[in-house]
Amino acid sequence: MLSYLIRRILLIVPTLIGATALIFFVMALAPVSITDALLSREGNLQPGERKAREEYLNRRYGLNKPLPVQYFRWLNAISPVGVKEKGAGFPASWKVGVKWPDLGNSFKQARPVGPIILEALPVTLLIQTISMPLSIAIAIMSGIWAAKHRGKLQDVATGTVLLGLWSLPVIWVAVMLIGYLANVHYLKWFPAAGLHDPRAGSMSFFPGHGSAGYLLDSLWHLVLPVTCLTYGSFAFLSKLTRASLLDTLGADFIRTARAKGLSERVVLYRHALRNSLLPLITVFAGILPALITGSIVVEKVFSVPGMGRLVIDSLLAQDRELFLSVATITLLLQLTGFLLMDIAYAIADPRVSYE
Amino acid sequence: MSDDLPLRRTYLQQVVHDTLVPVASRLGLAWVVCLAFFAVTAPFIANSHPILMQEAGRWSSPMLKSLEPADIVLPVAAIAAAVLLVRRKLSAGQGLGMVAWVSAVTYAATAWPSVRPYYATLRGARLELLSVWAAWTLLGFAGAMVAMMIVLLPIFVLPRRATMVASACLAPLVVLTLVFPVRPPELVVYERYRQKEKSGQITSVLRTLVPYSANDRLRDQPELRLTPPRRGHPLGTEPNGADVLSRMIHASRIALSIGFIATGIAVVVGVIVGGLMGYFVGTVDLLGMRLIEIFQAIPRLVLLVAITASYGRSLYLMMAVIGMLSWTGDARFIRAEFLKLRKEDFVQAAVAAGLPLRSILFRHMLPNGIAPVLVSASFGVASAILLESTLSFLGLGLVDEPSWGQMLNQAREGSGFNWWIALFPGAAIFLTVFAYNLVGESLRDALDPKLLKRE
Amino acid sequence: MENRFGIKDFLLFLVLAILIGMVGLAMVMFDRQYEEIQAIKKQSGEMTADMVAIRRQLAQGVVTAGGAGEARGKTEDLEVFKYVVEAQKKPDFARGDWLIDNFGTKIGRLTPVVSTDVYQTIIEGRVMEGLVTRDPQTLKFVPVLAESWEVSKDGLTMVFKVRKGVTFSDGGALTADDVVFTLNWVMNKDVNAPRARAYLEKLVEVKATGPHEVVFRFSEPYFLNFATVAEASVMPKHFYSRFKPQEFNERTGLLMGTGPYKLADPENWSPGKPIELVRNDRYWGVAPAFERLVFREVEDESASMVMFGNGELDIFGCVPEQYEKLLKDERILKMSQHLKYHNPLSGYGYIGWNQQRKVGGQVVETAFADARVRRAMTLLIDRERMAKEIYLGYATVASGPFDPMSPQSNPEIKPWPYDEVKGKALLAEAGFRDVSGDGVIEGPDGKPFSFKLTYPSGSATYERMVLFVKDGLARAGIKMELEPLDWPVMLDKLKKSEFDACALGWGGVVESDAYQIFHSSQIAGEADNRTHYINKKLDAVIEEARRTIDDEKRMKLWHEVHRILHEDQPYTFMFNRPALVFLNGRLANVGQTKLGLNYVRLSALPIPWYVPKGAQKYTR
Repeated sequence: MLSYLIRRILLIVPTLIGATALIFFVMALAPVSITDALLSREGNLQPGERKAREEYLNRRYGLNKPLPVQYFRWLNAISPVGVKEKGAGFPASWKVGVKWPDLGNSFKQARPVGPIILEALPVTLLIQTISMPLSIAIAIMSGIWAAKHRGKLQDVATGTVLLGLWSLPVIWVAVMLIGYLANVHYLKWFPAAGLHDPRAGSMSFFPGHGSAGYLLDSLWHLVLPVTCLTYGSFAFLSKLTRASLLDTLGADFIRTARAKGLSERVVLYRHALRNSLLPLITVFAGILPALITGSIVVEKVFSVPGMGRLVIDSLLAQDRELFLSVATITLLLQLTGFLLMDIAYAIADPRVSYE
Repeated sequence: MSDDLPLRRTYLQQVVHDTLVPVASRLGLAWVVCLAFFAVTAPFIANSHPILMQEAGRWSSPMLKSLEPADIVLPVAAIAAAVLLVRRKLSAGQGLGMVAWVSAVTYAATAWPSVRPYYATLRGARLELLSVWAAWTLLGFAGAMVAMMIVLLPIFVLPRRATMVASACLAPLVVLTLVFPVRPPELVVYERYRQKEKSGQITSVLRTLVPYSANDRLRDQPELRLTPPRRGHPLGTEPNGADVLSRMIHASRIALSIGFIATGIAVVVGVIVGGLMGYFVGTVDLLGMRLIEIFQAIPRLVLLVAITASYGRSLYLMMAVIGMLSWTGDARFIRAEFLKLRKEDFVQAAVAAGLPLRSILFRHMLPNGIAPVLVSASFGVASAILLESTLSFLGLGLVDEPSWGQMLNQAREGSGFNWWIALFPGAAIFLTVFAYNLVGESLRDALDPKLLKRE
Repeated sequence: MENRFGIKDFLLFLVLAILIGMVGLAMVMFDRQYEEIQAIKKQSGEMTADMVAIRRQLAQGVVTAGGAGEARGKTEDLEVFKYVVEAQKKPDFARGDWLIDNFGTKIGRLTPVVSTDVYQTIIEGRVMEGLVTRDPQTLKFVPVLAESWEVSKDGLTMVFKVRKGVTFSDGGALTADDVVFTLNWVMNKDVNAPRARAYLEKLVEVKATGPHEVVFRFSEPYFLNFATVAEASVMPKHFYSRFKPQEFNERTGLLMGTGPYKLADPENWSPGKPIELVRNDRYWGVAPAFERLVFREVEDESASMVMFGNGELDIFGCVPEQYEKLLKDERILKMSQHLKYHNPLSGYGYIGWNQQRKVGGQVVETAFADARVRRAMTLLIDRERMAKEIYLGYATVASGPFDPMSPQSNPEIKPWPYDEVKGKALLAEAGFRDVSGDGVIEGPDGKPFSFKLTYPSGSATYERMVLFVKDGLARAGIKMELEPLDWPVMLDKLKKSEFDACALGWGGVVESDAYQIFHSSQIAGEADNRTHYINKKLDAVIEEARRTIDDEKRMKLWHEVHRILHEDQPYTFMFNRPALVFLNGRLANVGQTKLGLNYVRLSALPIPWYVPKGAQKYTR
């Protein structure tokens, strides 16, 4: 098991390299060069100025070297194991070793990428970590309910309704929710943008002192975005729960339990449920990567300053360093998700072994 | 006695039969057929060009004159497909081949007039050298493909009689296009028809059901811009002035074509890669798995946005990219199936008999392993349509063509919430995705061996 | 059997997750409150230090009339504070409350000089001040940090007397050295400010000839020389000299000056943190009314409109549709006030016709090189109708690059009217006719007249405008294709001249220099003459205007420039649009000036608005 784990973790590296190389070259081969995109932002330059600026940018970001060199330079910077330059004059003072990953500097904002991501990540994590357990909880409960009433009208109807929910496009749901529920002209039940009131800094945590309190205010702002993120995954997970529960209920040991005279409730909750949560766990880990990409649309519509918005902004601004770092994080999440999926499967089911 | 024998169906026919049993999937399929109907007949039911009009004593048909090659190829292909489905004389593969051949012939007959001006533009192009080269290659490639299909299909795939019947039916069409070449106008001023009718220049006119084109921005009636549903515009008008119903009908074309073609590319690539991996295990399998992991790891929407933002917006680019990012699921399925099948007797027999590789893979193994790919394809079309809608919603979609996602984005304009532009296109996307998912679900249930055992 | 996960465990997990979530939220909130407490502590620390200093001064028997007091006594009489003092005399005047403004985009940087966006300039204008500024009503220069100045007859030497007794927000005194430091800093090649440097290219030297006297020397007379050096925000030398140019380029939040407001932490702002300016208690001038200025970054237009309706934003700049919609909304009208005003800083929109393109490596003249073709295009675009339909009447058709209310604009020139017949005739004269009968006109080379219009993507208004132009040109037989591009890609294409026509706009200044855009020397490299427009006569007139120091003579030359541009149409000038703004009803003393709203965003003038005591919202 351990060797399998190590092998899988090591295998993440070539996949990561391959995927980031693909993204890098797709962006780099675009008709717009980064230097031009940067320079053009600075407006009026005299011809001599332009030369100087170009040299400066090339020196800093290495933009005039051939593409593979740029890619490896970036790869070297971002990996924890790499080549460190010790002062001027090489190659004698180069040293291969372990180092902090250097995510580079954002072209557009001219500051290190790390803090930018650290500002956006918690926002996205907040929304996702609220919506995930919620969707799992609802999924399990509705899955059990559907399995209990299997074959009857409720079951078939629920199945179709859930499939319908899963088919609802996020863009439509977000637009309709914000248009009807957050609109002054219809029902103004929820706020239209952002994650908190401008006075949030001076608010107390719990309600009181004349304001609703930071906690309630945050929750109120979170309702619509979380709804948009939850409905799709809970529909999918619910069907999965139902299917796997039905599978388990057909097994022999369940028949034994029933024959023993146990009540249906005990059979369902104590015996069947535990074993049927397996596929749920594995799929759940596979949802990890959707953390960032799933919230792109929601963050745009609700003006939430999270990772999804960072992705779009950096892409449209041709900010390659920032985008690559965000993409790498997404990829890492994806691959870690797959790995966790396999591990969870191995832990949960003793029949599975990877030797 | 012969009544006691069970009906003989092939595996595929059984699967199709089982899929269509539940009501839900029938409704889903009905919606898809409905949509396909709209997509095929779009220029005939929603067009600003009148079907017939009399101007200064002369009758003419502006609608027919404005048809593009695609507008003719699609109905012809649809009719061919319908005929084949009803008559059931050909196998699935042959049927597909026949439809493809008919389409290729019609396309060649209708597209030849536009080759010359395209060629002329290319020669004196004011474009970058790379674009010129690309355009030349595209032209050459497309031409070669069409020519190949026209010539090779009847020889290798299609039965003799069917080809002759089809040729007989197509002959009048081809002759017609030789006499009246298909040359859609470069520039259209849509409001001229209405203005001329009002001024009396046009004496009698027969219009299409929805008398507005997708790009007719009602320049002669600016007060009708951005109005909710009303008489004459059952779904209202959008911020640029065009009729929403007409745009939705034309957008179904884009949606379905992206769905089908992107999924088609994904299936083809997936089958080839997965098949090779499943058949030649070992190094091929290892490398293939890495490739699959790489492509699966890349978030599709993100890469799509990256490419559109950097390289520009093009329908073909979008189709190609979506296709190239969706093949991993199919590859995995095919690989799993082939891993199981390669140990089967009939495959061993085929190998022992010395059959060529492509025959083993595509004629023997593939038909038996294709089932899960069909399920994946159905869901794949749904997800491709969703992806394109999301991209258009983010503002990176096509410019001239209408798209449901782009219309959804227009609903949120600064001046407030335009409910009719949010409701209808959004519902269209939803219903289409739902329909494909329903069909896919019931296809999956039909293929589920556990369910089969229970029967 | 092993104990597996059960419902109880899952519920436990859920409760745990919720608790963790709440703790997380609480932590974030505590963090913010901690920052606020720090700011308060710092403020009280500074106040204590000031009190100690004052006590010491009193103990030493220093009379308040003199030194800092002298400055304070006379400040109310200064011209620059005229409007604020007037406001203070009003009966319901009260200090306090916050002003919540909104930028429609995320701000990346507040550091002066290296930032290139207008929003940073707005914030800089509140925190820093220059030697002079423009009076919004008279448009004359009034002294701010300068007491007086002298300009030599030839315009090559300027002497400024720097005001005494002024301190920066951290207590450091303002001297001539700070002015010298500011100009030298901008001229420093390592500082990332090429645009600012370009305007200072004629500056030869700046020297401090006394603790409160600065001398500027220029190589050539240029009418913008004075404004460029005199309006530049003065940077405190003791604060900024601590940073090397490279670090300065990269820091996002280094902002400190002498202005009425300051950042609570002048060094450590970073994007994502709220932008809040608090009152500078050490301000040398008349104290402003608002206690705090908050700038939000809500990008989504509909969200910001909703927020304004909720009272979460105090200023909402609208497009015509929103304006009309809000005008019909009873509830909004009750809680707000609105203004439509002419803003010379808003500039003009245009369609630029590229006269030269690279095709297959060779430079080729396009159809637009012929002035008749350009004039025809202008005649074929119905701008009046567009102003009515797209901008709902809230736009005037422009005839040239100058602000129509400014003396630069030639009052005799009226924009070309829409004339389809004349336009087609002009095209025919230039050799463009529909020979093939397919509805598209062909040029003298036989090729159909078709081109692509490049414009910034993402704006619904641009889209409407562009589609209107497309349909209008179609009537004349011209095929126009749309090319929406994102900013970086578009700027790149413009720079490489890889476009046929572009639809864009230029921002305005009080007196603009037509040199950058229309002079033939500005074609190469990075300059702004992107349409390859060459007109030797125009060049000569522009050069002379730049050299002319006498205002009256210069205006006559600008009139000539206007006339030539009107005849030649290198651009089709589209619209000048008034600013439309809705403001929260509790704001008092809102008015109009020649520079727009009397809360002039882009000037160092203090804000003459206030909120009466009873209406104050954020402070009680």
